[in-house]
Amino acid sequence: MGSAHSVPAEMRELADRTGFTSEQIEHLHRRFKQLSRDQLTIRKENFDSIPDLEFNPIRAKIVHAFFDKRNLRPESDGLADEINFEDFLTIMSYFRPIEMNMDEEQLDRFRKEKLKFLFHMYDSDHDGKITLQEYRNVVEELLSGNPHLEKESARSIADGAMMEAASICVGQMGPDQVYEGITFEDFLKMWQGIDIETKMHVRFLNMETIAHCY
Amino acid sequence: MGQRGGWGQISALSWQQEGVGLEGAGISLAKIVFHLSRKVTSIVPESCLLILLGLGLGGIVLAVAKKAEYQLEPNMFFLFLLPPIVLDSGYFMPSRLFFDNIGAILTYAVVGTLWNSFTTGAALWGLHQAGLMDPGIEAGLMDFLLFGSLISAVDPVAVLAVFEEVHVNETLFIIVFGESLLNDAVTVVLYKVFNSFVELGPARIHATDYVKGVASFFLVSLGGTAVGLLFAFLLALITRFTKRVRIIEPLFVFLLAYVAYLAAEMVSLSSILAVTFCGICCKKYVEANISQKSRTTVKYTMKTLASSSETIIFMFLGISAVDTSKWAWDTALVLGTLFFILLFRAVGVVLQTCVLNRFRLIPLDRIDQVVMSYGGLRGAVAFALVILLDRAKVKAKDYFVATTIVVVFFTVIVQGLTIKPLVTWLKVKRSDHHKPTLNEELHEHAFDHILAAVEDIVGHHGYHYWRDKWEQFDKKYLSQLLMRKSAYRLRDEIWDVYYKLNIRDAISFVDQGGHVLSAAKLALPSMPSRTSMSESSVTNLLRESGSGACLDLQVIDTVRSRRDKEDAAMHHVLRGSLYKPRRRYKASYSRHFISPDKQERQDKEIFRQNMKRRLETFKSTKHNVCSSKSKARLKEKGRKKKNISLTSDTPNGKTHRNVPWQEAAPVLVMVSSEEEESDSSETEREDDEGIVFIARATDEVLQGKTTPGSLDVCPSPCIIPPSPTLAEKELPWKGDQADLAVYVSSETTKIVPVDMQKAWNQSISSLESIASPPGIESGSQHRRFACPVLEEQPQSANQAMSEQSSCFQFPSHISKSGRSQSDSSPDGAEQQELQPLMATEEQGRMVPTTEPRWLMFNRASHL
Repeated sequence: MGSAHSVPAEMRELADRTGFTSEQIEHLHRRFKQLSRDQLTIRKENFDSIPDLEFNPIRAKIVHAFFDKRNLRPESDGLADEINFEDFLTIMSYFRPIEMNMDEEQLDRFRKEKLKFLFHMYDSDHDGKITLQEYRNVVEELLSGNPHLEKESARSIADGAMMEAASICVGQMGPDQVYEGITFEDFLKMWQGIDIETKMHVRFLNMETIAHCY
Repeated sequence: MGQRGGWGQISALSWQQEGVGLEGAGISLAKIVFHLSRKVTSIVPESCLLILLGLGLGGIVLAVAKKAEYQLEPNMFFLFLLPPIVLDSGYFMPSRLFFDNIGAILTYAVVGTLWNSFTTGAALWGLHQAGLMDPGIEAGLMDFLLFGSLISAVDPVAVLAVFEEVHVNETLFIIVFGESLLNDAVTVVLYKVFNSFVELGPARIHATDYVKGVASFFLVSLGGTAVGLLFAFLLALITRFTKRVRIIEPLFVFLLAYVAYLAAEMVSLSSILAVTFCGICCKKYVEANISQKSRTTVKYTMKTLASSSETIIFMFLGISAVDTSKWAWDTALVLGTLFFILLFRAVGVVLQTCVLNRFRLIPLDRIDQVVMSYGGLRGAVAFALVILLDRAKVKAKDYFVATTIVVVFFTVIVQGLTIKPLVTWLKVKRSDHHKPTLNEELHEHAFDHILAAVEDIVGHHGYHYWRDKWEQFDKKYLSQLLMRKSAYRLRDEIWDVYYKLNIRDAISFVDQGGHVLSAAKLALPSMPSRTSMSESSVTNLLRESGSGACLDLQVIDTVRSRRDKEDAAMHHVLRGSLYKPRRRYKASYSRHFISPDKQERQDKEIFRQNMKRRLETFKSTKHNVCSSKSKARLKEKGRKKKNISLTSDTPNGKTHRNVPWQEAAPVLVMVSSEEEESDSSETEREDDEGIVFIARATDEVLQGKTTPGSLDVCPSPCIIPPSPTLAEKELPWKGDQADLAVYVSSETTKIVPVDMQKAWNQSISSLESIASPPGIESGSQHRRFACPVLEEQPQSANQAMSEQSSCFQFPSHISKSGRSQSDSSPDGAEQQELQPLMATEEQGRMVPTTEPRWLMFNRASHL
């Protein structure tokens, strides 16, 4: 029952790969077991048991991201039915804060990884492009928390955002040019100047104590 | 005798007021002069200049009157000068940033200030004990601690004045500035406690007094915050019900905030905290509730008050410093204080940051720490507090006053002057002034949810978790309670950004258009997407390239129609320039069809707009006359609105094959209940003055009347009011020309009173003669481009008509519309049946009315 993971060697290997400390891994493992009801893998249904998640408007997308193979391993595609603890850790590692001693290159890679995760979340059909339809879906879900905003306005917002993206990424378009969707390169461009590494973060330190350091 | 005394008093009073008035004028002039030369103000912060100016003025007064006339009175400072500044900073505080960093801010404000005062006080006492100071200074440990408490608090006024010009990154700014606001509670408590200790004398202080001191800190800070929250709640609640008395909205904002200040002050809680939190917390709801105009009024009044208070404060600081009778100089004390406050501030910042960085997601690096320590400016609060000391009890008051003045001057002038070069030299991350983009807002929104979700999954109840919880609570209860229904409905952060972007576009467009409108100008890199987009239109694309575009343009169209309405409603403040933002959203990503005549088209639009404006001013003088007629119409419309809500989708008379949205997205009916509707319409209405509109006739009316000949005239205002029906029926949505009418409609909805007919005709003809706009001929075409969306709604034709009437028409349009009318007239009946809800709804929403009178009518109809 997951006890294999507590073997020190394996733990060290995990720690190296994901960048978590062993206490963090232990904690995450406990949580993992709790979620999976002591199984070795987690399935989508397991996430239903988290009550707080219920109100999250983009809940489906987030849960989906956990099972997206693109996030789990490089060079793979498709959707996993279940993920084991290692995969769980991998996903979690996308939300690690930057460390003080990272150099430029590491930072850059780190940033790209985070953005890739986000990109994959938007790109639901795995074609490497966020099309207008996909973008609209995201926006609709985002706004679904507000019952007073109709889908129409969500769409119009998505359209506006898409146009903005097109203008940022392509600039002046040629007469016959058509913007088909946001590619990852474009996505990177859009994020220029916004330091995602300061935003896409969850504190994994001191998880035991519910110390909320604002 | 008594009478004479009274006279004397009055004359003295008036003399004094005159003096103050003159001084105020002088200050304002000085401010203008400072800002005339950019060079000076870019190097020297305004606060420095003001202090120097104050010194100069004080010197003159001293030389002339042989004694210092004015000085900063603590009472005036705390009662009148400080509240506006604090309110301004609280109200316009970026609340998200503030609460994101509240941990750091609170630490620096509480721990930092405590540390600073105790260490500074103790060190000075040590200096005194060591005999380095003039033995004439009679001060014990308590006196020095008292002095330490008042000298160690970072001053919000000074920080704001200096940091506003430095533009460091937001996090750094909010930490320093937030600290300066929130440390008030600590300062007040320390000051009071030590003051009473000094009065009691060290011998009679018991242990319980210390406990009381600690307890009073919590009481003062939490109490102050609670008072602020209470008044914020009240304020939000009150503004929810000011719908009908818009004019007093701004008053409430100021009044209640000030009452919060006074209430907190009265029960000796932290008044700064009260106002700060009142401002921060009420803003969201108040802004949603009050009208656009009130918003502007609040903004400007607040800024004006705050900046004049700031100016006066710095001036008076300079002037007061001249009063040497209150000075007692001791070099050791002055230098010691300067040294210690700098040293302990730096040490405190480093120590606290050390601890904080273990918890912060984004650590504060060394450079940040340097700026934070160096940015600890002292200011008028310290000065006012030191003046308030009782000389009988604090024997060394004169020394303290002199030292405080020097410290304040040093921090404001020397540090204020050098902080900018320092920031540049250290390459501190500046705030990037990029405009907010929709994408950014979307992603940030997504982030919030993702992070909250991840925290949920990990089972870690951190910041995001609680933030998420709070937002849910706010959405469920607070917003429901404190916001008007109509405001609440449309409220959403993403939507807000979208809205703001639209407005900004419109404004920039108008700005540019007001002067010279050239295509080159519009293509400024600063607004790449929006301008270029305006140049092509989806409709155009559809027509010419069909579905060639990869984006599903048809779908966009659909969306657009709805969106347009919302846009229109939102923007009718900017009615004149409405076409710009609308076009932007219509645009496609591929910019194929740049219409050949865009240049002249734009010129013409500008021209027409100007004309319209003139016409409106002209019209406004007269249009009251006919109000009764329009009233009746409005009523009808109101009734109608209700009925309409049930109607289903709207096939347009127009040719829309392969437009999926028609079925998919029939017009959404926004009207859920009459009450709500009225509410919304009223809110929408609130903003614009001068939009008059024509109520739409009911179906019967429409059918009944067909005024021939009106078609020809339709461009002129007179025709429209009597029979909007005609317009509806005859509007040519079918033909290509239809679009032109539509375009106009979206711009504004106007009701032209019937009586105005003559006036209109006259004015129009005169204008026409004056105006020889380039490229009149292309009018119809350009219209189509401008507003492709609306084509889909035959209804809008209605509006179009009215619009046409209101705005200046080019002859070519007239003829075209006339033609189209005849073309489509057979379909008229059918079209009526098919009237889409949207148009109605739009009309309803746009119900215009800027005039109070109109408003009333409208309301009546709902009733």
